[in-house]
Amino acid sequence: MVLRTLQRRIAVVFVGLLVLVMSLIVGLVTQSNRRMVASETARELEVGSHVFQRLVEQNQRQLETAATVLSGDFAFREAIATQDRATVHSVIRNHGLRIGAQVMMVISPDGVVMADTQQPLKPGRAFQFVDLLTSAQSAGKSSGFRQMQDGFPYQIVLVPISAPKLIAWVAMGFQVDDHWSAELSEITGLTVSVVRRQGNGVSLLASSLDGARRLALVQALKAAPDSVSGVLAIGQEQYQTLQMPMAQDLFVVLQRSLAQAQAPFKSLQTVLLIVVLGGVVLFALGSVLLARRIGQPVNALAASARRIEDGDYSQAVPRLPLDEIGQLALSFDHMRERIASREEKILRLAYEDTLTGLPNRTRFLETLHERLGSGSGAVVLLNIDRFASINHALGNAVGDRLLVEIGKLLGQLTPTPTLVSRLWGDEFAFLLCGSDRAQAQSFAQMLLATLSHPITLEGQRLDVDGSLGLALYPQDGKDAVVLLRGADHAMLAAKRRRLGYDFASSNAAQPVYEQLSLVGEMREALARNEFVLYYQPKLDLVARQVCGAEALLRWQHPVRGLLPPAHFVPFAEQTGFIREITPWLLERVVEQTARWCAADMEITVSANLSALDILNPALVAHVRSLLAQHGLAPGLLCLEITESALMDEPELALAHLTELSALGVKLSIDDYGSGQASLGYVKTLPVNELKIDQAFVTGVTQSSKNAAIVRSTILLSHELGLLVTAEGAETTSDLSWLSEAGCDVAQGYGIARPMPADALAGWVADYVSQHASAHGAL
Amino acid sequence: MRCFPLARWLVLLPLVGASAFGATVDASVRTSAGNPLENAVVVLEPLSVAPAKRRRTVTIEQKDREFLPYVTVVETGTLVEFPNRDPFKHHIYSFSPAKVFEIKLYADKPVLPVLFDKAGEVALGCNIHDWMEAYVLVVNTPHFGKTGVNGNTTIRDLVPGRYHLRVWHPQQQTEAPQREIEIVAGTAPQHLNLQAKVLPRTPKPKPPLDADKY
Repeated sequence: MVLRTLQRRIAVVFVGLLVLVMSLIVGLVTQSNRRMVASETARELEVGSHVFQRLVEQNQRQLETAATVLSGDFAFREAIATQDRATVHSVIRNHGLRIGAQVMMVISPDGVVMADTQQPLKPGRAFQFVDLLTSAQSAGKSSGFRQMQDGFPYQIVLVPISAPKLIAWVAMGFQVDDHWSAELSEITGLTVSVVRRQGNGVSLLASSLDGARRLALVQALKAAPDSVSGVLAIGQEQYQTLQMPMAQDLFVVLQRSLAQAQAPFKSLQTVLLIVVLGGVVLFALGSVLLARRIGQPVNALAASARRIEDGDYSQAVPRLPLDEIGQLALSFDHMRERIASREEKILRLAYEDTLTGLPNRTRFLETLHERLGSGSGAVVLLNIDRFASINHALGNAVGDRLLVEIGKLLGQLTPTPTLVSRLWGDEFAFLLCGSDRAQAQSFAQMLLATLSHPITLEGQRLDVDGSLGLALYPQDGKDAVVLLRGADHAMLAAKRRRLGYDFASSNAAQPVYEQLSLVGEMREALARNEFVLYYQPKLDLVARQVCGAEALLRWQHPVRGLLPPAHFVPFAEQTGFIREITPWLLERVVEQTARWCAADMEITVSANLSALDILNPALVAHVRSLLAQHGLAPGLLCLEITESALMDEPELALAHLTELSALGVKLSIDDYGSGQASLGYVKTLPVNELKIDQAFVTGVTQSSKNAAIVRSTILLSHELGLLVTAEGAETTSDLSWLSEAGCDVAQGYGIARPMPADALAGWVADYVSQHASAHGAL
Repeated sequence: MRCFPLARWLVLLPLVGASAFGATVDASVRTSAGNPLENAVVVLEPLSVAPAKRRRTVTIEQKDREFLPYVTVVETGTLVEFPNRDPFKHHIYSFSPAKVFEIKLYADKPVLPVLFDKAGEVALGCNIHDWMEAYVLVVNTPHFGKTGVNGNTTIRDLVPGRYHLRVWHPQQQTEAPQREIEIVAGTAPQHLNLQAKVLPRTPKPKPPLDADKY
């Protein structure tokens, strides 16, 4: 289309210009032709009239000469001199034939007609053209045009007959007829007509015109009696006309046909028109060819451009002759190469993780998306355990190198997964196309086995563990994001439960779509007061009395009933919605604690803070204002933070903790032992309490290792001046062991399950009364 | 040819004789403008006595493609010779009623002289030289004279008596009617002042001779 347009445009411009120029030329030629025809006709008529006059004169002289010669003929003279009428008559007839004169007359010197071939029976009359005779008498001879009795005009020549004295005049008349007109017409190139004008009457005496035009001429002359010269229309034709008097009432009408004069110009114009049309056609063809010659390379370039547009950089731009377009093609080809290499680089950057050289998250998602449609498979998510601590302890450079080493390791796995990718940070993903649950599981086991080999970096042996989340498609989802989230949850679950790996299907009981709508629901839940706080009592193992309680969030879901925090808190943390929940929670807790305090139940209530809460700059001010608002002693509020929550931004977290501590609020390290934090690190924090993770506490009596860890932790914590709380004390034997081990506080089902706030006061009263007797019993 | 000097003598003799006893007329012819008129012919015809005729021979030459002389006056019955002095032929003719004749192409001298036996004016022409022109006036009297350049002529040996006087000229428009005059005897010449109305002579163009004189 572009080509065609270009062609058309070139053709139109070229041909249009040519047509313009040619029209100008044709117009000018036509105009000048018209002028030339007019002037040429006038000139021709003028020249023709001169020629005509000269011809007539010449003719006259010739006739005179001939007549003179004839009159010199001895026998002629003799016959006339002898006055023998019969002889004279026959001799003039004979000599008239000789010279071609239609009329012969012999006139005596005194003007009496002696013989007349036209009217042989009337001799003796006077010669009718006295003027001719007079001028002949003075000039020796005379001639002129006269109309004779028969109605025809004659060219009459009067010459003397001398013997040797003038004995007579002989008049010879040459008829002016159509033949005469035709001959003169042929020589002059004009139409020659002889007319007689008498008043308004016009009679045509002779003409070179044909029959129809004769009548038309007479009509025209009658219509324009006075016009001596000018353009006269005879029928359809235009004639440049000149009238000249011949004698008295005789006129010769000389005419030049304009059409005839135009004829050569017409043919010139026709030729010119043919040349112009031919030129235009040739030009059109030429310009189309030219346009095609220009257009074809352009077309080729356009095709190349379209290929490039479609992302096909493989085909080189065709080599063209090195004219301007060829140069363009060359530059175009260079451009193609540059774009190809640049795109390759961009693609690499876009789809490759620069650190490990593995495909990145985008690539993984795209590939996963592509593969989801066909068949089944598994997505495996790997998160390196304790990577944040390694990064923190050994520096980012080492962390990066560790990731590179892990990347290498993952790149050499057998069986090779369809795709190995680093999603971000310490998280890797694997796509196992065609794998079923069993194959995915064996892959996970193989992967964990591979990772269990220590990695040596700069002479340091690093033990690397990972948690895996497995999501199977299409069972766990048909969408890449859903699958990855499922795998992520499974991975988090595996990490939390130290399972090594977990399946998304076993981790997420509820359908995936429910998780998706969770944020919106949570927001509504907050507005509708569907979140409720349950309190789990904490028992002072020394004083044997309830010293506090931990506030635990529950969601009184209108459809699904009471949801434990594990079902929505990780999600709230992931999405950041926790930052909306925590202020509400803190307010409830402070308010409740103050109420209990007022009811003379002075217990310390703990609330959990997530990593996001710790980093929230408004946290401290909020806590301060809550305490002031409810008039609660800061020491009655305890904030629990997991060690991992401190790892994202340790400095800021530490600053906030320091401020909270300065307020007088108690701080506690939650889930101690599940993360990588050492006591050495905890020591630097302004915390009052250490909560040993339930993983160590539950069943501590059965595991000597756990017992050793708990015992040493208690000892060390006490050494550091920290209060120790054991979570997950489920049995009375646990409680006894803990009590013996010197643990300060215990919490768990062994004491009480979490309960609504209203129930706590009653439970505490019951417990005190029960255990007072039990204590008493001890 | 031998007779030619003799003829001349014969012509001269009576003139000389007549002068001894006749009267003489001096005629002077002038044009209307008063100029002397050459080649005018003055003819005196006696009313009473018819003089005895004498057969005479006169010569009109063709020389240099001209007639010589231009005007000749002869008495009726005169023979005129037309000798050709040109190296080429001539073809002389006359269609005049007084004498119609034609001498077809000839050289030297025609075989016979032409007899002018009828009074009148004879115009001579040459058929092959249109400009050649001569006039012969044939009269019935021996008394006549032809004017020279000065317009004068003398007629001698006139017997006193009454005469018809006639003046003629080739270019004369109309001839004046004859009148009678009285010639008286005496020694002194009688003067006649005559007038003639003539048209100027317009000689026909004469082409120059060719290199080889033809």
